[in-house]
Amino acid sequence: MKTIYFLLAMGFVSSCMKLDSNLYNNDNEIKSYQLEDYTGEQDFILDASYAISADKITLLTLSSQTEKESSVTEIKALYIGDLTKINTDTVILYCHGNKWHMDFYWQRAKLLAHVNGKNTYGVMMLDYRGYGLSSGKPTEEGMYADVDACMKWLKEKGLENKRLVIYGFSLGTASSCELTANPRSLVPSKIILEAPFASAEVMVQDGSQLNMPAEYFTDLKIDNAEEIKKIEQPFLWLHGLNDNFLNYKTHGQVVYKNYGGSQQEKYLIEGADHGEVPEKMGFETYLKTLGTFIRK
Amino acid sequence: MKYIFPIFLILVLYRCAPSRYVKPLAKKENSLALSFGGPLIKFSGAPIPIPFTTLGYGYGLTDNITAYGNLHTTSALFGNSQLDLGATFSLYKKENSFGITASPALQMAYSIANKTGFRVWPSADANIYFHPAKKTSYLYAGINSWFEFSKLRAHGEDQKKHLVPNLQMGYVIAKTKWQHQFEFKYLGAGIPNTPGVVEYIGISGKGALGIYYSLVRKF
Repeated sequence: MKTIYFLLAMGFVSSCMKLDSNLYNNDNEIKSYQLEDYTGEQDFILDASYAISADKITLLTLSSQTEKESSVTEIKALYIGDLTKINTDTVILYCHGNKWHMDFYWQRAKLLAHVNGKNTYGVMMLDYRGYGLSSGKPTEEGMYADVDACMKWLKEKGLENKRLVIYGFSLGTASSCELTANPRSLVPSKIILEAPFASAEVMVQDGSQLNMPAEYFTDLKIDNAEEIKKIEQPFLWLHGLNDNFLNYKTHGQVVYKNYGGSQQEKYLIEGADHGEVPEKMGFETYLKTLGTFIRK
Repeated sequence: MKYIFPIFLILVLYRCAPSRYVKPLAKKENSLALSFGGPLIKFSGAPIPIPFTTLGYGYGLTDNITAYGNLHTTSALFGNSQLDLGATFSLYKKENSFGITASPALQMAYSIANKTGFRVWPSADANIYFHPAKKTSYLYAGINSWFEFSKLRAHGEDQKKHLVPNLQMGYVIAKTKWQHQFEFKYLGAGIPNTPGVVEYIGISGKGALGIYYSLVRKF
Protein backbone atom coordinates (compact mmCIF):
# COMPACT_ATOMS: atom_id res chain seq x y z
CA MET A 1 0.00 0.00 0.00
CA LYS A 2 2.90 2.35 0.78
CA THR A 3 4.06 1.87 -2.76
CA ILE A 4 0.72 3.00 -4.14
CA TYR A 5 0.73 6.13 -1.98
CA PHE A 6 4.29 6.85 -2.98
CA LEU A 7 3.54 6.61 -6.70
CA LEU A 8 0.34 8.65 -6.41
CA ALA A 9 2.14 11.34 -4.45
CA MET A 10 4.91 11.51 -7.03
CA GLY A 11 2.37 11.81 -9.81
CA PHE A 12 0.51 14.56 -8.02
CA VAL A 13 3.62 16.56 -7.20
CA SER A 14 5.00 16.32 -10.69
CA SER A 15 1.66 17.50 -12.09
CA CYS A 16 1.24 20.58 -9.92
CA MET A 17 2.05 23.16 -12.53
CA LYS A 18 -0.23 25.87 -13.83
CA LEU A 19 -0.18 26.66 -17.51
CA ASP A 20 -3.61 28.22 -17.99
CA SER A 21 -2.33 31.77 -18.33
CA ASN A 22 0.54 30.81 -20.57
CA LEU A 23 -1.00 31.73 -23.88
CA TYR A 24 0.39 35.19 -23.66
CA ASN A 25 3.98 36.09 -24.39
CA ASN A 26 3.86 39.48 -22.73
CA ASP A 27 6.75 41.37 -21.17
CA ASN A 28 5.74 43.81 -18.45
CA GLU A 29 9.19 44.28 -16.97
CA ILE A 30 10.04 47.42 -18.91
CA LYS A 31 10.23 50.74 -17.05
CA SER A 32 9.46 53.01 -19.99
CA TYR A 33 8.84 52.90 -23.72
CA GLN A 34 11.95 53.46 -25.80
CA LEU A 35 10.31 53.50 -29.26
CA GLU A 36 13.00 54.94 -31.57
CA ASP A 37 15.73 54.25 -28.99
CA TYR A 38 14.69 50.64 -28.49
CA THR A 39 17.65 48.37 -29.14
CA GLY A 40 16.08 45.00 -28.37
CA GLU A 41 15.17 42.36 -30.92
CA GLN A 42 12.89 43.63 -33.70
CA ASP A 43 11.56 42.23 -36.95
CA PHE A 44 13.15 45.04 -38.95
CA ILE A 45 14.50 48.55 -38.47
CA LEU A 46 13.49 51.30 -40.85
CA ASP A 47 15.93 53.86 -42.16
CA ALA A 48 15.94 57.53 -41.19
CA SER A 49 13.54 58.49 -43.97
CA TYR A 50 10.77 56.85 -41.97
CA ALA A 51 11.40 58.96 -38.87
CA ILE A 52 8.38 60.46 -37.18
CA SER A 53 8.72 63.84 -35.55
CA ALA A 54 8.27 63.79 -31.79
CA ASP A 55 5.31 66.18 -31.89
CA LYS A 56 3.37 63.57 -33.87
CA ILE A 57 3.77 60.87 -31.20
CA THR A 58 1.43 60.86 -28.21
CA LEU A 59 1.61 58.29 -25.47
CA LEU A 60 -1.78 57.71 -23.90
CA THR A 61 -3.18 56.11 -20.78
CA LEU A 62 -6.67 54.74 -21.31
CA SER A 63 -9.17 53.05 -19.04
CA SER A 64 -10.41 49.64 -20.09
CA GLN A 65 -13.07 47.52 -18.48
CA THR A 66 -14.70 44.25 -19.44
CA GLU A 67 -18.38 43.61 -18.72
CA LYS A 68 -17.50 41.33 -15.83
CA GLU A 69 -15.01 43.66 -14.17
CA SER A 70 -15.94 46.02 -11.36
CA SER A 71 -12.92 48.27 -11.81
CA VAL A 72 -10.99 49.69 -14.72
CA THR A 73 -7.58 48.60 -15.97
CA GLU A 74 -5.19 51.27 -17.15
CA ILE A 75 -3.64 50.48 -20.49
CA LYS A 76 -1.04 52.29 -22.55
CA ALA A 77 -1.51 53.24 -26.16
CA LEU A 78 0.17 55.56 -28.58
CA TYR A 79 -1.12 57.71 -31.37
CA ILE A 80 0.98 58.76 -34.34
CA GLY A 81 -0.50 61.81 -36.00
CA ASP A 82 -2.21 65.05 -35.23
CA LEU A 83 -4.70 64.67 -32.38
CA THR A 84 -6.65 67.68 -33.54
CA LYS A 85 -7.32 66.08 -36.93
CA ILE A 86 -8.80 62.78 -35.76
CA ASN A 87 -12.21 64.20 -36.59
CA THR A 88 -11.22 64.33 -40.26
CA ASP A 89 -8.33 61.86 -40.65
CA THR A 90 -8.47 58.20 -41.52
CA VAL A 91 -7.01 56.16 -38.67
CA ILE A 92 -5.37 52.73 -38.76
CA LEU A 93 -5.86 50.95 -35.46
CA TYR A 94 -3.00 48.49 -35.23
CA CYS A 95 -3.51 45.43 -33.00
CA HIS A 96 -0.08 43.97 -32.45
CA GLY A 97 1.00 40.36 -32.03
CA ASN A 98 1.84 38.32 -28.98
CA LYS A 99 5.37 39.49 -28.48
CA TRP A 100 6.35 41.55 -25.45
CA HIS A 101 5.19 45.15 -25.90
CA MET A 102 4.85 48.17 -28.20
CA ASP A 103 8.60 48.79 -28.44
CA PHE A 104 8.91 45.55 -30.40
CA TYR A 105 6.20 46.75 -32.80
CA TRP A 106 7.24 50.39 -32.99
CA GLN A 107 8.88 50.03 -36.41
CA ARG A 108 5.67 48.52 -37.76
CA ALA A 109 3.52 51.34 -36.40
CA LYS A 110 5.97 53.84 -37.84
CA LEU A 111 5.79 52.13 -41.22
CA LEU A 112 1.98 52.32 -41.15
CA ALA A 113 2.29 56.05 -40.54
CA HIS A 114 3.67 56.22 -44.10
CA VAL A 115 0.72 54.66 -45.92
CA ASN A 116 -0.14 57.05 -48.76
CA GLY A 117 2.56 59.43 -47.50
CA LYS A 118 4.02 60.39 -44.15
CA ASN A 119 1.34 61.05 -41.54
CA THR A 120 -1.44 60.99 -44.09
CA TYR A 121 -3.34 58.67 -41.79
CA GLY A 122 -3.30 58.50 -38.04
CA VAL A 123 -2.00 55.29 -36.51
CA MET A 124 -3.01 54.02 -33.10
CA MET A 125 -1.34 51.12 -31.33
CA LEU A 126 -1.86 49.76 -27.84
CA ASP A 127 -0.35 47.39 -25.37
CA TYR A 128 -3.00 44.95 -24.23
CA ARG A 129 -3.31 44.61 -20.46
CA GLY A 130 -0.23 42.93 -19.05
CA TYR A 131 1.91 43.89 -22.04
CA GLY A 132 4.55 46.60 -21.66
CA LEU A 133 3.41 49.28 -19.24
CA SER A 134 -0.26 48.37 -19.38
CA SER A 135 -1.43 47.16 -16.01
CA GLY A 136 -3.38 43.99 -15.31
CA LYS A 137 -3.02 40.49 -16.65
CA PRO A 138 -3.73 39.42 -20.21
CA THR A 139 -7.07 37.79 -20.88
CA GLU A 140 -9.04 37.28 -24.04
CA GLU A 141 -11.97 39.43 -22.94
CA GLY A 142 -9.55 42.03 -21.58
CA MET A 143 -7.78 42.20 -24.92
CA TYR A 144 -11.05 42.98 -26.70
CA ALA A 145 -11.97 45.56 -24.07
CA ASP A 146 -8.55 47.18 -24.46
CA VAL A 147 -8.91 47.56 -28.21
CA ASP A 148 -12.42 48.87 -27.69
CA ALA A 149 -11.02 51.41 -25.20
CA CYS A 150 -8.93 52.76 -28.09
CA MET A 151 -12.03 52.91 -30.28
CA LYS A 152 -13.89 54.79 -27.55
CA TRP A 153 -11.07 57.29 -27.29
CA LEU A 154 -10.96 57.71 -31.07
CA LYS A 155 -14.73 58.17 -31.15
CA GLU A 156 -14.51 60.85 -28.46
CA LYS A 157 -11.93 62.61 -30.63
CA GLY A 158 -14.35 62.62 -33.53
CA LEU A 159 -13.48 59.50 -35.51
CA GLU A 160 -16.33 58.01 -37.50
CA ASN A 161 -16.79 54.40 -38.58
CA LYS A 162 -16.04 55.11 -42.22
CA ARG A 163 -12.56 56.42 -41.39
CA LEU A 164 -11.50 53.58 -39.14
CA VAL A 165 -9.34 50.79 -40.60
CA ILE A 166 -8.42 47.97 -38.27
CA TYR A 167 -5.18 46.06 -38.80
CA GLY A 168 -4.38 42.88 -36.90
CA PHE A 169 -1.13 40.99 -36.89
CA SER A 170 -0.98 37.42 -35.56
CA LEU A 171 -2.57 37.49 -32.08
CA GLY A 172 -3.93 40.94 -32.95
CA THR A 173 -6.09 39.38 -35.65
CA ALA A 174 -8.31 38.02 -32.85
CA SER A 175 -9.38 41.44 -31.59
CA SER A 176 -9.54 42.79 -35.15
CA CYS A 177 -11.97 40.07 -36.20
CA GLU A 178 -13.94 40.10 -32.97
CA LEU A 179 -14.50 43.86 -32.95
CA THR A 180 -15.34 44.00 -36.63
CA ALA A 181 -17.73 41.04 -36.47
CA ASN A 182 -19.25 42.15 -33.16
CA PRO A 183 -18.69 45.91 -33.08
CA ARG A 184 -18.75 47.91 -29.89
CA SER A 185 -17.78 51.60 -29.84
CA LEU A 186 -16.97 51.89 -33.54
CA VAL A 187 -17.46 49.74 -36.62
CA PRO A 188 -14.27 49.46 -38.68
CA SER A 189 -14.84 50.20 -42.34
CA LYS A 190 -12.02 47.93 -43.51
CA ILE A 191 -10.05 45.08 -42.05
CA ILE A 192 -6.47 44.04 -42.73
CA LEU A 193 -5.21 40.75 -41.34
CA GLU A 194 -1.53 39.88 -41.49
CA ALA A 195 -0.67 36.27 -40.67
CA PRO A 196 -4.03 35.54 -39.04
CA PHE A 197 -4.63 32.35 -37.16
CA ALA A 198 -7.85 30.48 -37.81
CA SER A 199 -8.64 29.35 -34.29
CA ALA A 200 -7.18 27.78 -31.19
CA GLU A 201 -8.50 24.49 -32.54
CA VAL A 202 -6.37 24.69 -35.66
CA MET A 203 -3.32 25.43 -33.52
CA VAL A 204 -4.04 22.36 -31.44
CA GLN A 205 -4.62 20.20 -34.49
CA ASP A 206 -1.56 21.45 -36.33
CA GLY A 207 0.52 20.69 -33.26
CA SER A 208 -0.91 17.26 -32.57
CA GLN A 209 -1.68 16.12 -36.14
CA LEU A 210 -4.92 14.74 -34.71
CA ASN A 211 -8.52 15.97 -34.85
CA MET A 212 -8.34 17.16 -31.28
CA PRO A 213 -10.70 19.71 -29.68
CA ALA A 214 -9.15 22.95 -28.46
CA GLU A 215 -11.10 22.58 -25.22
CA TYR A 216 -8.54 20.06 -24.03
CA PHE A 217 -6.05 22.85 -23.60
CA THR A 218 -7.74 26.18 -23.43
CA ASP A 219 -10.97 28.00 -22.71
CA LEU A 220 -10.12 30.62 -25.31
CA LYS A 221 -13.02 31.42 -27.60
CA ILE A 222 -10.83 32.99 -30.28
CA ASP A 223 -12.18 31.76 -33.58
CA ASN A 224 -11.29 34.02 -36.49
CA ALA A 225 -12.43 31.41 -38.99
CA GLU A 226 -15.98 31.70 -37.65
CA GLU A 227 -16.03 35.43 -36.83
CA ILE A 228 -14.88 36.38 -40.33
CA LYS A 229 -18.14 34.91 -41.68
CA LYS A 230 -19.98 37.87 -40.14
CA ILE A 231 -17.66 40.44 -41.71
CA GLU A 232 -18.69 42.14 -44.96
CA GLN A 233 -16.33 45.10 -44.87
CA PRO A 234 -13.48 45.02 -47.44
CA PHE A 235 -10.83 42.57 -46.29
CA LEU A 236 -7.13 42.40 -47.09
CA TRP A 237 -5.16 39.28 -46.18
CA LEU A 238 -1.35 39.25 -46.05
CA HIS A 239 0.56 36.10 -45.20
CA GLY A 240 4.08 34.77 -45.68
CA LEU A 241 4.31 31.58 -47.69
CA ASN A 242 7.14 30.49 -45.41
CA ASP A 243 5.30 31.28 -42.21
CA ASN A 244 6.69 28.61 -39.94
CA PHE A 245 4.51 29.59 -37.02
CA LEU A 246 1.02 30.02 -38.44
CA ASN A 247 0.66 27.94 -41.57
CA TYR A 248 -0.87 30.06 -44.31
CA LYS A 249 -2.84 27.06 -45.55
CA THR A 250 -4.31 25.78 -42.30
CA HIS A 251 -4.79 29.24 -40.76
CA GLY A 252 -4.91 32.20 -43.16
CA GLN A 253 -6.48 30.42 -46.07
CA VAL A 254 -9.34 29.14 -43.90
CA VAL A 255 -10.02 32.68 -42.68
CA TYR A 256 -9.89 34.02 -46.22
CA LYS A 257 -12.21 31.29 -47.51
CA ASN A 258 -14.76 31.93 -44.75
CA TYR A 259 -14.94 35.71 -45.27
CA GLY A 260 -18.58 36.81 -45.39
CA GLY A 261 -18.25 39.72 -47.80
CA SER A 262 -17.43 40.18 -51.45
CA GLN A 263 -14.46 42.56 -51.41
CA GLN A 264 -11.41 40.52 -50.52
CA GLU A 265 -7.80 40.71 -51.58
CA LYS A 266 -4.87 38.50 -50.73
CA TYR A 267 -1.12 38.82 -50.95
CA LEU A 268 0.91 35.70 -50.26
CA ILE A 269 4.51 36.68 -49.89
CA GLU A 270 7.22 34.41 -51.24
CA GLY A 271 9.95 33.65 -48.71
CA ALA A 272 8.30 35.48 -45.82
CA ASP A 273 8.22 33.87 -42.39
CA HIS A 274 6.00 35.05 -39.56
CA GLY A 275 6.64 38.75 -39.02
CA GLU A 276 8.55 39.14 -42.25
CA VAL A 277 5.74 40.20 -44.58
CA PRO A 278 6.53 43.95 -44.76
CA GLU A 279 10.25 43.40 -45.25
CA LYS A 280 10.02 40.56 -47.78
CA MET A 281 7.26 42.33 -49.64
CA GLY A 282 9.42 45.43 -49.72
CA PHE A 283 8.40 48.39 -47.61
CA GLU A 284 7.35 50.49 -50.59
CA THR A 285 5.26 47.69 -52.11
CA TYR A 286 3.74 46.98 -48.73
CA LEU A 287 2.80 50.62 -48.24
CA LYS A 288 1.46 50.89 -51.76
CA THR A 289 -0.66 47.76 -51.29
CA LEU A 290 -2.15 49.07 -48.07
CA GLY A 291 -2.60 52.54 -49.51
CA THR A 292 -4.48 51.27 -52.53
CA PHE A 293 -6.69 49.06 -50.37
CA ILE A 294 -7.53 51.88 -47.97
CA ARG A 295 -8.21 54.39 -50.75
CA LYS A 296 -10.62 52.15 -52.66
CA MET B 1 12.46 34.24 -34.23
CA LYS B 2 9.45 32.62 -32.64
CA TYR B 3 6.25 34.39 -31.65
CA ILE B 4 5.60 31.73 -29.13
CA PHE B 5 2.23 30.85 -27.66
CA PRO B 6 3.62 28.97 -24.67
CA ILE B 7 0.38 27.19 -23.84
CA PHE B 8 0.67 25.18 -27.00
CA LEU B 9 3.83 23.59 -25.76
CA ILE B 10 1.51 21.21 -24.00
CA LEU B 11 0.21 19.87 -27.26
CA VAL B 12 2.87 17.28 -27.09
CA LEU B 13 1.02 15.93 -24.10
CA TYR B 14 -0.66 13.63 -26.51
CA ARG B 15 2.60 12.47 -27.98
CA CYS B 16 2.23 9.52 -25.66
CA ALA B 17 4.34 8.34 -22.79
CA PRO B 18 5.54 4.72 -22.92
CA SER B 19 2.40 3.39 -21.27
CA ARG B 20 2.26 -0.11 -22.80
CA TYR B 21 4.19 -3.14 -21.62
CA VAL B 22 7.05 -4.23 -23.80
CA LYS B 23 7.21 -7.57 -22.05
CA PRO B 24 4.09 -9.15 -20.54
CA LEU B 25 3.79 -9.65 -16.80
CA ALA B 26 3.59 -13.12 -15.30
CA LYS B 27 0.10 -14.56 -14.83
CA LYS B 28 -1.78 -12.79 -11.99
CA GLU B 29 1.08 -10.36 -11.49
CA ASN B 30 0.18 -6.70 -10.86
CA SER B 31 2.22 -3.64 -11.52
CA LEU B 32 1.99 0.08 -10.97
CA ALA B 33 3.97 2.49 -13.08
CA LEU B 34 4.75 6.16 -13.01
CA SER B 35 6.13 7.63 -16.22
CA PHE B 36 7.79 10.98 -16.73
CA GLY B 37 8.99 12.58 -19.88
CA GLY B 38 8.07 13.99 -23.19
CA PRO B 39 9.39 15.41 -26.41
CA LEU B 40 12.30 17.77 -26.53
CA ILE B 41 11.43 21.29 -27.54
CA LYS B 42 13.39 24.46 -28.00
CA PHE B 43 12.46 26.94 -25.34
CA SER B 44 14.32 30.25 -25.19
CA GLY B 45 16.90 28.66 -27.45
CA ALA B 46 17.66 25.71 -25.19
CA PRO B 47 16.48 22.13 -25.67
CA ILE B 48 14.29 20.98 -22.79
CA PRO B 49 12.25 17.84 -22.26
CA ILE B 50 8.65 18.33 -21.22
CA PRO B 51 7.98 16.40 -18.02
CA PHE B 52 4.59 14.83 -18.53
CA THR B 53 3.36 12.21 -16.15
CA THR B 54 1.32 9.06 -16.50
CA LEU B 55 0.10 6.65 -13.83
CA GLY B 56 -0.49 3.11 -14.98
CA TYR B 57 -1.69 -0.25 -13.80
CA GLY B 58 -1.14 -3.62 -15.42
CA TYR B 59 -2.33 -7.14 -14.70
CA GLY B 60 -1.08 -10.40 -16.12
CA LEU B 61 -4.11 -12.22 -17.48
CA THR B 62 -1.89 -15.05 -18.60
CA ASP B 63 1.85 -15.36 -18.97
CA ASN B 64 1.41 -14.08 -22.50
CA ILE B 65 -1.25 -11.39 -22.14
CA THR B 66 -1.12 -8.31 -19.93
CA ALA B 67 -4.04 -5.94 -19.70
CA TYR B 68 -3.23 -2.36 -18.75
CA GLY B 69 -4.67 1.06 -18.25
CA ASN B 70 -3.08 4.45 -17.81
CA LEU B 71 -4.24 7.74 -16.47
CA HIS B 72 -2.49 10.71 -18.05
CA THR B 73 -2.19 12.88 -14.98
CA THR B 74 -0.89 15.99 -16.69
CA SER B 75 -4.08 16.11 -18.77
CA ALA B 76 -6.08 16.42 -15.57
CA LEU B 77 -4.47 19.81 -15.00
CA PHE B 78 -6.39 21.09 -17.96
CA GLY B 79 -9.68 19.62 -16.83
CA ASN B 80 -9.36 16.64 -19.13
CA SER B 81 -9.68 12.98 -18.56
CA GLN B 82 -7.19 11.09 -20.71
CA LEU B 83 -7.02 7.34 -20.36
CA ASP B 84 -5.68 4.52 -22.38
CA LEU B 85 -6.68 0.90 -22.16
CA GLY B 86 -4.87 -1.88 -23.92
CA ALA B 87 -3.29 -5.27 -23.80
CA THR B 88 0.17 -6.56 -24.56
CA PHE B 89 0.33 -9.90 -26.35
CA SER B 90 3.41 -12.03 -26.55
CA LEU B 91 3.75 -13.10 -30.17
CA TYR B 92 6.98 -14.98 -29.78
CA LYS B 93 9.40 -15.53 -26.96
CA LYS B 94 12.52 -17.42 -26.23
CA GLU B 95 12.94 -17.50 -22.46
CA ASN B 96 15.65 -15.13 -21.16
CA SER B 97 16.72 -14.37 -24.69
CA PHE B 98 14.29 -12.32 -26.80
CA GLY B 99 10.68 -11.92 -27.70
CA ILE B 100 8.22 -10.02 -29.85
CA THR B 101 5.08 -8.35 -28.51
CA ALA B 102 2.16 -6.37 -29.86
CA SER B 103 0.02 -3.91 -27.88
CA PRO B 104 -3.24 -2.63 -29.35
CA ALA B 105 -4.87 0.08 -27.25
CA LEU B 106 -7.55 2.73 -27.22
CA GLN B 107 -6.54 6.27 -26.31
CA MET B 108 -9.51 8.14 -24.89
CA ALA B 109 -9.86 11.77 -23.93
CA TYR B 110 -12.71 13.95 -22.71
CA SER B 111 -12.86 17.53 -21.54
CA ILE B 112 -14.47 17.24 -18.12
CA ALA B 113 -14.29 20.98 -17.58
CA ASN B 114 -16.25 21.70 -20.76
CA LYS B 115 -18.27 18.49 -20.77
CA THR B 116 -17.44 17.97 -24.41
CA GLY B 117 -14.89 16.65 -26.83
CA PHE B 118 -14.93 12.91 -26.25
CA ARG B 119 -12.47 11.34 -28.65
CA VAL B 120 -11.05 7.87 -29.13
CA TRP B 121 -7.89 7.12 -31.06
CA PRO B 122 -6.85 3.52 -31.61
CA SER B 123 -3.13 2.91 -31.28
CA ALA B 124 -0.87 -0.06 -31.77
CA ASP B 125 2.64 -0.98 -30.64
CA ALA B 126 4.99 -3.66 -31.86
CA ASN B 127 8.21 -4.26 -29.96
CA ILE B 128 11.10 -6.64 -29.94
CA TYR B 129 13.06 -7.15 -26.72
CA PHE B 130 16.36 -8.76 -26.06
CA HIS B 131 18.08 -9.89 -22.84
CA PRO B 132 21.82 -9.27 -23.23
CA ALA B 133 23.91 -12.06 -21.67
CA LYS B 134 20.68 -13.61 -20.36
CA LYS B 135 20.32 -10.90 -17.71
CA THR B 136 16.87 -10.01 -16.37
CA SER B 137 17.26 -6.48 -17.70
CA TYR B 138 16.53 -6.02 -21.38
CA LEU B 139 16.84 -3.77 -24.39
CA TYR B 140 13.95 -3.16 -26.74
CA ALA B 141 12.97 -1.34 -29.91
CA GLY B 142 9.70 -0.91 -31.68
CA ILE B 143 7.11 1.18 -33.42
CA ASN B 144 3.93 2.78 -32.17
CA SER B 145 1.19 4.42 -34.19
CA TRP B 146 -1.86 6.47 -33.40
CA PHE B 147 -4.71 6.31 -35.90
CA GLU B 148 -7.02 9.19 -36.71
CA PHE B 149 -10.22 8.09 -38.41
CA SER B 150 -11.89 11.51 -38.70
CA LYS B 151 -12.29 12.66 -42.29
CA LEU B 152 -12.65 16.30 -41.31
CA ARG B 153 -10.82 18.55 -38.89
CA ALA B 154 -11.56 22.05 -37.58
CA HIS B 155 -13.74 24.28 -39.76
CA GLY B 156 -14.71 21.39 -42.03
CA GLU B 157 -11.26 21.12 -43.58
CA ASP B 158 -9.91 17.75 -44.68
CA GLN B 159 -8.07 15.70 -42.08
CA LYS B 160 -5.03 14.69 -44.08
CA LYS B 161 -3.04 12.71 -41.53
CA HIS B 162 -4.59 9.43 -40.48
CA LEU B 163 -1.56 7.81 -38.96
CA VAL B 164 1.02 9.30 -36.60
CA PRO B 165 3.96 6.89 -36.34
CA ASN B 166 6.47 6.88 -33.49
CA LEU B 167 9.67 4.88 -33.18
CA GLN B 168 11.12 3.87 -29.84
CA MET B 169 14.05 2.16 -28.22
CA GLY B 170 14.75 1.65 -24.56
CA TYR B 171 16.36 -0.22 -21.75
CA VAL B 172 14.65 -1.77 -18.74
CA ILE B 173 16.65 -2.37 -15.57
CA ALA B 174 14.65 -5.18 -14.02
CA LYS B 175 14.98 -5.98 -10.31
CA THR B 176 12.81 -8.46 -8.47
CA LYS B 177 10.01 -5.98 -7.73
CA TRP B 178 11.16 -2.67 -9.17
CA GLN B 179 11.92 -1.72 -12.71
CA HIS B 180 13.50 1.37 -14.18
CA GLN B 181 12.62 1.95 -17.80
CA PHE B 182 14.43 4.46 -19.99
CA GLU B 183 13.03 5.17 -23.41
CA PHE B 184 14.05 7.29 -26.34
CA LYS B 185 11.39 8.10 -28.94
CA TYR B 186 11.15 9.60 -32.36
CA LEU B 187 7.62 10.98 -32.36
CA GLY B 188 5.73 11.77 -35.52
CA ALA B 189 8.48 10.08 -37.50
CA GLY B 190 8.82 11.62 -40.92
CA ILE B 191 6.12 14.24 -40.39
CA PRO B 192 7.33 17.83 -40.95
CA ASN B 193 7.36 19.69 -37.63
CA THR B 194 6.90 23.13 -39.18
CA PRO B 195 4.87 25.23 -39.62
CA GLY B 196 3.73 24.97 -36.07
CA VAL B 197 3.41 26.78 -32.79
CA VAL B 198 5.69 24.34 -31.00
CA GLU B 199 9.39 24.31 -31.81
CA TYR B 200 10.12 20.60 -31.64
CA ILE B 201 13.60 19.15 -31.81
CA GLY B 202 13.32 16.61 -34.56
CA ILE B 203 15.45 15.15 -37.31
CA SER B 204 15.92 17.31 -40.39
CA GLY B 205 12.79 19.29 -39.56
CA LYS B 206 10.66 16.21 -39.08
CA GLY B 207 9.08 14.68 -35.98
CA ALA B 208 10.17 15.24 -32.40
CA LEU B 209 12.68 13.45 -30.23
CA GLY B 210 11.48 12.49 -26.79
CA ILE B 211 12.95 10.99 -23.63
CA TYR B 212 11.03 9.15 -20.94
CA TYR B 213 11.59 7.42 -17.64
CA SER B 214 9.21 4.99 -15.95
CA LEU B 215 9.36 3.62 -12.45
CA VAL B 216 7.52 0.34 -12.17
CA ARG B 217 6.62 -1.64 -9.05
CA LYS B 218 5.43 -5.22 -9.42
CA PHE B 219 3.44 -6.98 -6.76
